[in-house]
Amino acid sequence: MSKPSDLLQGTLDLLILRTLALEPMHGWAIARRIQQASNEVLQITQGALYPALHRLEQQGWLRAQWRNTETGREAKFYALTRAGRAQLEKELAQWERLSGAVALVIRMAEE
Amino acid sequence: MHPERWLDIARLRLRSLVRRGQVERELDKELRFHLEQETDANLRSGMTPSEARLAAIRRLGGVARIGEECREMRRTGYIENFLHDLRYAARTLAKTPGFALVIVLTLALSIGANSAIFSVIDGVLLQPLPYPQADRIVRIFFSSHTFPKFPMNPLDLRDVRARNRSFGVIAGITRDDHQLSGVGRPERLTAFAITAGYFRMLGIHPALGREFTTEDELPARGKQVILSDRIWRTRFGADRQILGRTILLDDAPFTVVGVMPPVAHPGNEYHAVADGDTVDVWTPFTFHEDNGRGSHFAEVFARLKPGVTLAQAQADMDAQVAQLAREHPGTTRGWRALVLPLYQELVGPIRRMLLVLLGAVGLVLLIACANSANLLLARATARQREIAVRAALGAGRSRLVRQMLAESLLISLLGGALGAGMAVGGVRALVALLPADFPRATDIHVNAAVFAFTFLIALATGLLFGVAPAMQAARTDLQQVLREGGRGSTAGARQLHLRDVLLVGEVSLACVLSIGAGLMLRSFVNILHTDPGFRPERVMTASISLPDAKYQKPKDKIGFYIRLKRHLGALPGVRAAGLGSDLPWTGYDDNISGFTIEGRQPPPGQQFHARYHAASEDYFRALGIPLVRGRFFTPHDDLSASPVIIINRIMARMYWGSEDAAVGGRITFEDHPKPADWFTVVGVVGDVKDRPNSAAATPAIWWPLLQTPFGFPEMAIVVRAPRDPAQIAAAVRGAVQSIDPELAVADLKQMDEVAGKTFSTPRFALFLVGLFAVLAGLLAAIGIYGVISYSVTQRTHEFGLRMALGARPADVVRQVVGQGVRLAAVGIVLGLAGALALGRLLRSLLYHVGAADPLTFVLVAVCAVAIAAIACYVPAWRATMADPMAALRAE
Repeated sequence: MSKPSDLLQGTLDLLILRTLALEPMHGWAIARRIQQASNEVLQITQGALYPALHRLEQQGWLRAQWRNTETGREAKFYALTRAGRAQLEKELAQWERLSGAVALVIRMAEE
Repeated sequence: MHPERWLDIARLRLRSLVRRGQVERELDKELRFHLEQETDANLRSGMTPSEARLAAIRRLGGVARIGEECREMRRTGYIENFLHDLRYAARTLAKTPGFALVIVLTLALSIGANSAIFSVIDGVLLQPLPYPQADRIVRIFFSSHTFPKFPMNPLDLRDVRARNRSFGVIAGITRDDHQLSGVGRPERLTAFAITAGYFRMLGIHPALGREFTTEDELPARGKQVILSDRIWRTRFGADRQILGRTILLDDAPFTVVGVMPPVAHPGNEYHAVADGDTVDVWTPFTFHEDNGRGSHFAEVFARLKPGVTLAQAQADMDAQVAQLAREHPGTTRGWRALVLPLYQELVGPIRRMLLVLLGAVGLVLLIACANSANLLLARATARQREIAVRAALGAGRSRLVRQMLAESLLISLLGGALGAGMAVGGVRALVALLPADFPRATDIHVNAAVFAFTFLIALATGLLFGVAPAMQAARTDLQQVLREGGRGSTAGARQLHLRDVLLVGEVSLACVLSIGAGLMLRSFVNILHTDPGFRPERVMTASISLPDAKYQKPKDKIGFYIRLKRHLGALPGVRAAGLGSDLPWTGYDDNISGFTIEGRQPPPGQQFHARYHAASEDYFRALGIPLVRGRFFTPHDDLSASPVIIINRIMARMYWGSEDAAVGGRITFEDHPKPADWFTVVGVVGDVKDRPNSAAATPAIWWPLLQTPFGFPEMAIVVRAPRDPAQIAAAVRGAVQSIDPELAVADLKQMDEVAGKTFSTPRFALFLVGLFAVLAGLLAAIGIYGVISYSVTQRTHEFGLRMALGARPADVVRQVVGQGVRLAAVGIVLGLAGALALGRLLRSLLYHVGAADPLTFVLVAVCAVAIAAIACYVPAWRATMADPMAALRAE
């Protein structure tokens, strides 16, 4: 149960923000959605998920609200704030740039 | 960017802090919800209910840790945790009150001492002088090879003032005390004659009326007076109608033209008044054309014009003095100008001493830090199991470090609070101990700055001595400690090493301090043993001031002095009684330059200078100043005889080459002397320094009292009598008042007292550095004791085994003491090297002792080894008590 490294943590933030851009969700649903969307490749440990959610909330990028789920249970739903949306744009751009650069380096190594 | 985002953030932080319970409950609920969802999902995938729940829990991991991390994400955790840590630390400390008391007390002592010294430094060095734009105020001196800082001649001062380009105001002052009469009982007032613009120069306006103008400086006028706040209130009932009223000073009428608010005296060199509100009245400084330019007694202050730098002012003054020398070659040649900032002039002499004191007290604090770190380390070892258990239960490393730091901060802040209390008392004691002539003593207070300083050093101290034990604790090897179980924890090699390093550092710092104290002690002893050039024991002195109104002519004054001397000499038990214008070791006022020595030329570019004094017959005998050549004054050296002088040995050697050559030599103060203007040297007396710690004596001339060219209105009485001082004091007072019942007798004291007062500055420094050195030695001894006794406790088994195998108690003692002394020896060697390197900082405070004085170094080293051995002996002796059977059974 080691702490995720900085790279992973940054990535986790991006994944959470991106997931919540669709609709407000509670923690368990976020983890499940990421897992499904990645074809079960990305398994989010709860040990990393909840601290990340609380951190993003503290930074004003998410806003939390207690609401009832479809099954009638009370859960803490997270939603993107306007600042969070802006942050998502920024992180997405950064990610594109980074992954593009990494791809370039890898292709060069192949030739 | 997004203001609402910051609002969100602020709202959330506040909520986490204030509504902690609710936030915690929500977190709990959130995680529980997650667990339930996970369990449901597992159930759907076909697990049995218990399997599903277990898998979910396994997946979730440590709930406690997630909670902890979430709390940390909310940031406020820091504050909450800190408060919690403090509470925990307080509980832990309360469990070992002896340990806590020792650390807190040593820290309180060291922090308190630092705060006390800091408050002196704050008041004396850091606070600006109590005048507006005080950094623009300077002192102006004449300077020559023989006299680096000489007062100016009034006529030179007037010329400089008229031609000045660099200064807004130039003002001269000279001490000129008066006796106030006509309102209540007569009182001798401390007074200064001041030129026009003196208060404007200081930047202080009169509370009532005006200050003096250049018209008041004319000799025909000069009968105005400005009252100090104190005199105005105490003697004139704060009368707001006092302007224009006439008061009697020395029985002459003076018109009150102004009243000052409390003014701090800016200090002066000759007949000095310590700075503070100690001047009672001011009268106009009058310029007498016929006094000539040979006599130097004006102490000069000036305020720089805006934009003029010190260097520009100095250059301007150099040009002016060169100009004066061209105009008056007979008197003003050979002088240079010296412009110094007032702050430097006031504070300069004690600045180095205060910084040395601050350094010394800082070393004490460092030693206390090392000591506390060592004690905490020892305890951290003893608490290894507790720490390991906490780590095993999920406390993060940084959390553990913070916990340990909270403890050391709690200790140091407690020490700081107690230390602040001690500082308040300590400063009071310090000010009481201060030498009488200490500058700005009235500015020393324990104020907010001092408390802030105390708080900061307490905080820094806590971090400094807490960091090592905290890191150590965080590095605790869980597995090992828990495996060792109940067998009692032992220190790892690294930890022992760290403690040794701290101990060595502590001992070396204590050695540096002790050597500093030792050097100061030796130089103090040297000052005490310096031959003063006179014998201060059993000499009673007093001073009188003859009012001009009653004793107008020189011969009136001289007549009084002759009668007084006769009365004093006839007192029972008196061996010798005399009168003189000055007492040894008090610093001198009147100085003269520009006399001519028959048949001799001064070195090129220089002039003959000397201080001048008047002395009656028996003055030298009463003070015990030896006659080197020639003769003392006799009753026949009066106006009917040819003029004579006595000079001191240094003057004879400097200007004639030898004492023998000087006797019979002649000097004159006139440019075109008549035969009656020549003074013949009839005697050479031994040298007396201006102050006991002056580097060397300076040339001096004495006129016989009966021949003084002008009557000295102020005279010191010297009576040598091996009798009870109180009786002699009463007899002296009686003798004066039997001639003039209205005359006040001031400054009745024994010459040893005068001598003692001049030792007070070095004694003060020595006392404090000595005190700090003792404190440092004590702390280091506690440190050695602590380390060694801890190591003995750890090695009880080993000693038990050794004894069982036949080792004698003496062997064990030797081994333990050897271990401690070896460590101390390393510290001592480092300390000696450090002291050698730092020695030059002390040099200006030392007197006839080298900064690398071998005797001091050897003595300190020997004492340090002895103290280390004693500190080790007690634990060593306890080691021999180890029961061999108990040790073996424990294995």
